Amino acid sequence: MMEGEFKIRVTYAMRGRLVMLSHLEVARALERAVRRADLPFAVTQGFSPHMKLAFGAALPVGVGGDHEIFDVTMTEYVDPDEALRRLQDASPYDLMPESVEYITREVKAASVAYPFGTYRAVFDGPVDGLQVPDSITVIRKKKEKQLRPADFLVGALEKNGNEMLFTLEAKPSGSLRPDVLVNAMLDGAEDGLVNTDLGAARSDTRLHVVSLMRIAQRAE
Amino acid sequence: MTTDLWPQVERLLRESGRSIERPTRYLNHEWGCTYKPDAAYRFCMVYPDTYELGQANQAVRILCNRVNLVEGMAAERAYVPADDMADAMRAAGIPAFSMESCAPIAEFDAVGITLPHELAATNVLQLLDLAGIPLRTENRTENDPLVMGGGPCVLNAEPYAPFFDVLMLGEGEEVLPELLRMHRDMLAQGVSRADMLHAMAKVPGVYVPSLYDVVSEAEAQERGSWIVPKYDDIPTVIEKRIWEGFATSDAYEPQVVPYAELIHDRLNIEILRGCTRGCRFCQAGMMYRPVRERSADNIVAAAIRGLSETGYDEVSLTSLSTTDHSQIEDILRRLNRTFEGTGISVSIPSQRLDSFGVDMAELVAGGKRGGLTFAPEAGTQRLRDVINKNVTEEDLFTAVRASFEAGWRRCKLYFMIGLPTETDDDIKGIASLVQRAYDVAKQATPEGQRGNIRMSASCALFVPKAQTPFQWDGQIAPEEAIRRINLLRNSVKYRAIDIHWHAPDVSQVEAMMSRGGREVADVVEAAWRKGEHFDAWTEKFSLDAWKEACAECGVDFEGTAQRTYDTDYIPPWAHLSLGIQTRYFQRERQLADEAKTTPDCTYEHCTVCGVCMGLGSKIQLQGVRS
Repeated sequence: MMEGEFKIRVTYAMRGRLVMLSHLEVARALERAVRRADLPFAVTQGFSPHMKLAFGAALPVGVGGDHEIFDVTMTEYVDPDEALRRLQDASPYDLMPESVEYITREVKAASVAYPFGTYRAVFDGPVDGLQVPDSITVIRKKKEKQLRPADFLVGALEKNGNEMLFTLEAKPSGSLRPDVLVNAMLDGAEDGLVNTDLGAARSDTRLHVVSLMRIAQRAE
Repeated sequence: MTTDLWPQVERLLRESGRSIERPTRYLNHEWGCTYKPDAAYRFCMVYPDTYELGQANQAVRILCNRVNLVEGMAAERAYVPADDMADAMRAAGIPAFSMESCAPIAEFDAVGITLPHELAATNVLQLLDLAGIPLRTENRTENDPLVMGGGPCVLNAEPYAPFFDVLMLGEGEEVLPELLRMHRDMLAQGVSRADMLHAMAKVPGVYVPSLYDVVSEAEAQERGSWIVPKYDDIPTVIEKRIWEGFATSDAYEPQVVPYAELIHDRLNIEILRGCTRGCRFCQAGMMYRPVRERSADNIVAAAIRGLSETGYDEVSLTSLSTTDHSQIEDILRRLNRTFEGTGISVSIPSQRLDSFGVDMAELVAGGKRGGLTFAPEAGTQRLRDVINKNVTEEDLFTAVRASFEAGWRRCKLYFMIGLPTETDDDIKGIASLVQRAYDVAKQATPEGQRGNIRMSASCALFVPKAQTPFQWDGQIAPEEAIRRINLLRNSVKYRAIDIHWHAPDVSQVEAMMSRGGREVADVVEAAWRKGEHFDAWTEKFSLDAWKEACAECGVDFEGTAQRTYDTDYIPPWAHLSLGIQTRYFQRERQLADEAKTTPDCTYEHCTVCGVCMGLGSKIQLQGVRS
């Protein structure tokens, strides 16, 4: 880091209708919030100058987060409480900064800082019948790939009434998306585990996801 | 109380997963929205295309802001859902909805639809249908919203006439709130829909098509007009409205900041209105007269405030001809100084060839050197004189030299094929001009970087537009257009030059829509029923569907687009007036034949178009143009 540069890590919540934003759309919205907050952000030198900004691990469209992160490099020190207040004034409720702290150059980049994510999925009915499948087929770069949930799940998947809690590890070789896991579990349920006697009406009685949030992230 | 469809829409989006593209289009609650949930009177402003095109539109922004200024009135936005969403909405029984309160469009008191270009016509029907509003004014009842229209296509409103209760000609800043107030009062008084329309038809700038009968072509030529009013107390000629307050009004306006990526995703500051260069093919140049500039102080302050409120990293100084502003250098210098080191760029939407010098090249786009676009329009000086595009070859070469010396490496040149009086020499002239421009670019570029030079010519078929000196000229047949473009391709010897050609299919429909009478409205509906909508999207457009629709409705497709008339012919839009005298159009058409040019009245003398005198308006400049 250059002399006279200060880096803050902002933790924010992404919720409500804004969970529908793509990662790119979130990045753009956050950059605009930083500009509106009038923080003394650093700008890259070169052909196409842009704000020095780094984002945490992407969330799939439809998945929100209680404590997501992004880093801003600044040219001046601003009191963290003051920076937070300005960011909050410049942000929509559904994409709201909740803390600001200064980080040193030794701290890992936002995108790889927290490989472990804990998710809470809320459904419109009891989840007792849902099972983790042994294997999930996903399509990556037009190729089918088999993912074993057991390779990514850390600890036990907890079920509690209409809710489900699980932790996934992002690996350098790839990761299992939380929405893919949840959908695979729902598909499995539809294929014979619940409501088999309802016949044609089956898909109407299928469980629906009410919300899917990353509620915590950690380094190990 | 308005219905909130959001819970249903949210569930639809969630359940559809990735089968609905870009759910962000339907989210609303963007930064900078105006919410007035308690307003008793509700107006919905529609852009007849998808969110990412419509959200960038200036008319929607300006008019919503104007209506929201009125006490007790709310303006919301709406766009046409893409097909994946429209299908899902139909299946789920969800009607078209507004952005701010996610309310059914049919629940609003009035719906305003801007008509930005000819190909949006079928989208108007698509939207009305999704909203559950009867397509034609004759089928609407007291419970349906008032359907209003405005924008460039109202210059020849006839192909849209049956679908609108009320059309507004010219600038809407004043007339729209005026009409809505009137509507609100009459609703409160229990006035019938028919009486409301009759009353509105007396408001200056307002055209209520259902109150006018259309006569035959022969009778129209005899009478001097295609329409006959059903009442004695409504006008036979509707004159456009001008917002006299434009130049002195605040250039700053609230702007919604979208989450979705738009086509022009940036802060827009309208710095001047109108252009009197007088290009004879240009409808916008006729429509927005006279020229009115806002002051440099006003513009600079608006850009600073707008950027700090929106968080955008780009501000565009918009107008028909930004570099013509008498204080443009001052404005650009001040903005560049203010935004230095913030990564903010200042852009202008189009560059005039004759005013784009070395200074201007340094001032726009900050450090960014993307592509530049210039529009010589025609390949020879003779044809540029015919169309009154008052730029020379030397202007082009100077601009190319300045921009390539300043670091640009890409340049696109726009041309039209099929302009009146065009010959094969003019076509070959395009090839010659582009090649010589390439030579200039090469000379201006350091040797090691010459491989990066991109020079292209983009060509489109000329579309004769209503309310221009070329309104009487027919479009050339598509086969002839293809012969000419092939001639151009064969005339270009440099392999480094790309020739882009917009297939003439779309341009033919544009010409038919621009020149047709009220009978073309039936064609629009027939085409929509065949599945035409999003016609501006190449992959959605079908020329065959339009041709079949014409055949079914007994409309001569080729004739409407291609027939050439004498300048004493009365066109189907003769009752709609921009304040420009027909004599001016006729004189300009004659001068075109003589290849004689007419100067710009903001630089030289008055050209007697009639706008200032007829509409009691005047040119408003901030300084001397040079």
